[in-house]
Amino acid sequence: MNEQSASRRGKYALIASLASSLLLVIIFAVLSVFVNSSRTVPLYSQVDIIAGTIFVFVLSMIVSASIWPGIIEKRIS
Amino acid sequence: MQTKIKVYGMTCMHCHQRVTDAISAIEGVSSVEVNLEDESAEVEFDPDKTDINQIKQAVVDAGYEVEEEEACPLPAETEQEACKIIPDEELEETTKTESGHVDDIVFRVSGMTCASCAQNIEKILKKQAGVISASVNLPMSKAAVSYEPARISREEMEQAIESIGYHVVHERTTLDVGGMTCASCAMNVEKVLKRQKGVISASVNVSTAKARIEYNSSLLSVEDMISAIEGIGYSASIPAGREETEDRERKEREEEIRSQRNNLILSVVIAVPVLLGSMKDIFPDLLWFVPEFLTNVNLLFILSTIAMVFPGRQFFIGTYRGLKHGVTDMNLLIATGTGAAYIVSVAASYLDLGPGYEHLYYDTAVLLITFIVLGRYLEARAKGRTSESIKKLIGLQAKTARIIVNGEEKEVPVEDVEVGDIVFVRPGEKIPVDGVVIEGSSAVDESMITGESIPVEKKKNDEVIGSTLNKSGAMKFRATNVGADTALARIIELVENAQNSKAPIQRIADVVAGHFILVVHVLALIAFFFWYFVGFEAFNVPVNSGLLSPFLFALLISITVLVISCPCAVGLATPAAIMVGTGKGAENGILIKGGEALERTLKVDTIVFDKTGTLTKGEPELTDVISLADVEEDRILAIASGAEKGSEHPLGEAIVRGAQERNVEIANAEDFKSIAGRGIEASVEDSRILLGTRKLMEDNNIDISSAEKKMEELEAQGKTAMLAASGDRVIGLVAVADTLKENSKEAVEKIRDMGIEVVMITGDNRRTADAIANSIGIERVLAEVLPEDKAAEILKLQDEGRIVAMVGDGINDAPALTQSDIGIAMGAGTDVAMESAQIVLIKNDLRDVLAAIRLSRLTMSKIKQNLFWAFGYNSIGIPIAAGLFYPFVHTILITPALAAAFMAMSSISVTTNSLLMKRKSIK
Repeated sequence: MNEQSASRRGKYALIASLASSLLLVIIFAVLSVFVNSSRTVPLYSQVDIIAGTIFVFVLSMIVSASIWPGIIEKRIS
Repeated sequence: MQTKIKVYGMTCMHCHQRVTDAISAIEGVSSVEVNLEDESAEVEFDPDKTDINQIKQAVVDAGYEVEEEEACPLPAETEQEACKIIPDEELEETTKTESGHVDDIVFRVSGMTCASCAQNIEKILKKQAGVISASVNLPMSKAAVSYEPARISREEMEQAIESIGYHVVHERTTLDVGGMTCASCAMNVEKVLKRQKGVISASVNVSTAKARIEYNSSLLSVEDMISAIEGIGYSASIPAGREETEDRERKEREEEIRSQRNNLILSVVIAVPVLLGSMKDIFPDLLWFVPEFLTNVNLLFILSTIAMVFPGRQFFIGTYRGLKHGVTDMNLLIATGTGAAYIVSVAASYLDLGPGYEHLYYDTAVLLITFIVLGRYLEARAKGRTSESIKKLIGLQAKTARIIVNGEEKEVPVEDVEVGDIVFVRPGEKIPVDGVVIEGSSAVDESMITGESIPVEKKKNDEVIGSTLNKSGAMKFRATNVGADTALARIIELVENAQNSKAPIQRIADVVAGHFILVVHVLALIAFFFWYFVGFEAFNVPVNSGLLSPFLFALLISITVLVISCPCAVGLATPAAIMVGTGKGAENGILIKGGEALERTLKVDTIVFDKTGTLTKGEPELTDVISLADVEEDRILAIASGAEKGSEHPLGEAIVRGAQERNVEIANAEDFKSIAGRGIEASVEDSRILLGTRKLMEDNNIDISSAEKKMEELEAQGKTAMLAASGDRVIGLVAVADTLKENSKEAVEKIRDMGIEVVMITGDNRRTADAIANSIGIERVLAEVLPEDKAAEILKLQDEGRIVAMVGDGINDAPALTQSDIGIAMGAGTDVAMESAQIVLIKNDLRDVLAAIRLSRLTMSKIKQNLFWAFGYNSIGIPIAAGLFYPFVHTILITPALAAAFMAMSSISVTTNSLLMKRKSIK
């Protein structure tokens, strides 16, 4: 019973972490594209945007994976 | 149930947090205390809900290693049966006794000083319902009792003895227990031990495979306990020496140092060419001597890859283990930093990433690894040195002993010496165990235990301490404490426990370090967003720094923030200082029972000194003989000493000793009679002699008016005056005084100079107490306090809002020592002192109280300095690393490599700062 509940909590935490990281990555990418489109000479290269999204995803996953389990635990209990 | 497991691989406070979290998450675990320095975790859990294996697995799953033990040889189905817990009912059954049945028991009693003490204990025991007879042996400090177990229990008799101010001393032993595989096994062993008649307490730890037992040796022996354990299917033995454990720990430490040293050498060998090769294009004129092939991208890639795969592997493995279980630590910071620099460089080397990506960061990745590995190597070395004092103490233990068997000398391992054995030591040899000299005399160097550099003369009936050095003569002594009961073994245990303890201040560090990694990642992310979207263009980075890619610039800033923020030093700040501080104390004969005691000592504003035995020598001396009639003083002394000859009272002994010293012939006395609390009555040369208090004279209708004035004068000087009467008239006064120790005044003055109020507590009358207090500059005196009321007096002082330290000899003042905020027991060795006090002073020297306060102040100041350095590095480093000053200086002030160097420096400075304490004098 406990194992099932723990696994469910883990699943929720993973989904929440992925969702929040993807949200941040989307914001990053959209902002980058928006900045580029608002200028005559683009500021960010494609490599900048792609590498940036990867780096942002990694960092935000680390942060969100540390935050979400606690929040979900509290919600469930 | 409580257990302690060894956890290997923890490097920082985040590891600490991770292990704590992993264990806490297990259902049934009620408390966890993880010690980074000791590499251990103490866990309290409900054995019905979880077991030791589950706890160990959680630690392994969190990415750490636990102490190895034999795997459970039984299949799961049979395990329950094999580890069946012995029901409590069985225990109760076996301990029931029939009415009328009589048993004998012997108690070891500490705190007895004279025959009156022995009588008191006998009386209180005989008063107990169910006690048939009681006989107390003063020299052996033992009370033999015949009792009916159905009517009175051992505990009740012990309580009776302790209720009148004495202490029952229990023997202790530790056994190695084999065959335990789970918590149930440990419970079984514990239960079977507790079933044994004479076992007071038993605590079994499945992970260390040890059973710690407190018992009464008159009821059972160690062999009986071994048989009992073997009787339920486990093996048991007397443990091998500490040397073995110490040896294993030393090997592990050496292995860690060797591994980090190899990593460091490889990193440096790689870092030099990579750095030169990477810099040649930037500073071609300066680096003209660097061969062209070092700038080759393929070579730089290969060298950096070697650095990442070998010395840098530990960070990635650590990160992987952590992430697998959803936790993060410093390895992640390093791995993110080095990994990002390496991946960007590899991509730039072999892919066409466009403008801005020409520069490679192989040097950053390699230098990061090099500096971090340097930090870990130096840290591993320094960590080993912080526990040197305990190693020194362990190294003091003698390996062999020469005992007399059937009149012949026989050399045996020190573990085989038993209590009561006659041990022979030659000049220059170590005294193997504690004992009492029965033949011979010698000077003994006790500096290793007491810190006293001058050898102490030992003669018949003097106590000798195991592991001290016999300097000049041969001696025979009877062993009184062996194995884990010797003074040295208890000191080692106390110091080990202290070094494993936490100071309350560390909680702040723990909380900060626990959440630091997360905060740092958030900061790194914020810095990345800021410099990518805002700062890069706003502060004209392409022009100022020559970097064309916003991503690369933001990445560099972000990596620097990650690397500089490692909270390693925060985790080391407190334990490193405590280890060095308590170790230094032990080397000076000051045993401090942990971080909490250290921290509380710092706050002490009032020190209460017990008078007898603490401020004074505790041995009264004859000071005055005054004639009040036509009788010569020598005659009065002859009569008084004659009457007291048979007395064992310290005052009587002082009079007899005084007469002998003055070469006065002691008169023959008959019909000696002691009148409790009043004095004595005897017949000397057909005259009835009374010697004692005013009350004694009043009871016998003797007029004392002629003596009253003189008597008051003597009392005002702090002396105990006794009236001597022959027939029905007072013939003189005899005064004795407990003289002050030579250094009492100096110590009291210095303590007052520290701004601490000094208070004296004594059972003496007000006039005598005031006189003594005045002579050493103590203003506040708590006089006429009975031993049992001392604790209440301490409480009153605490109610005034004071933080009180109580200094006593631990004999009559154990409750007061316990009640005080800091109990300081002097002239240690007694179990009472060891148990009641937070600070134990081995020597009977009041100046050690000062030294203990100085040591506590020194250690706490080191802790604060360490925390300041640790937090300082981060507080200053993080904003700079995040580019706070870039708008003003137009360059990155801290590169990732420099950040790594700073981070390594913070750990090294904290450990080195703690080690510097060793050089400071506390005396």
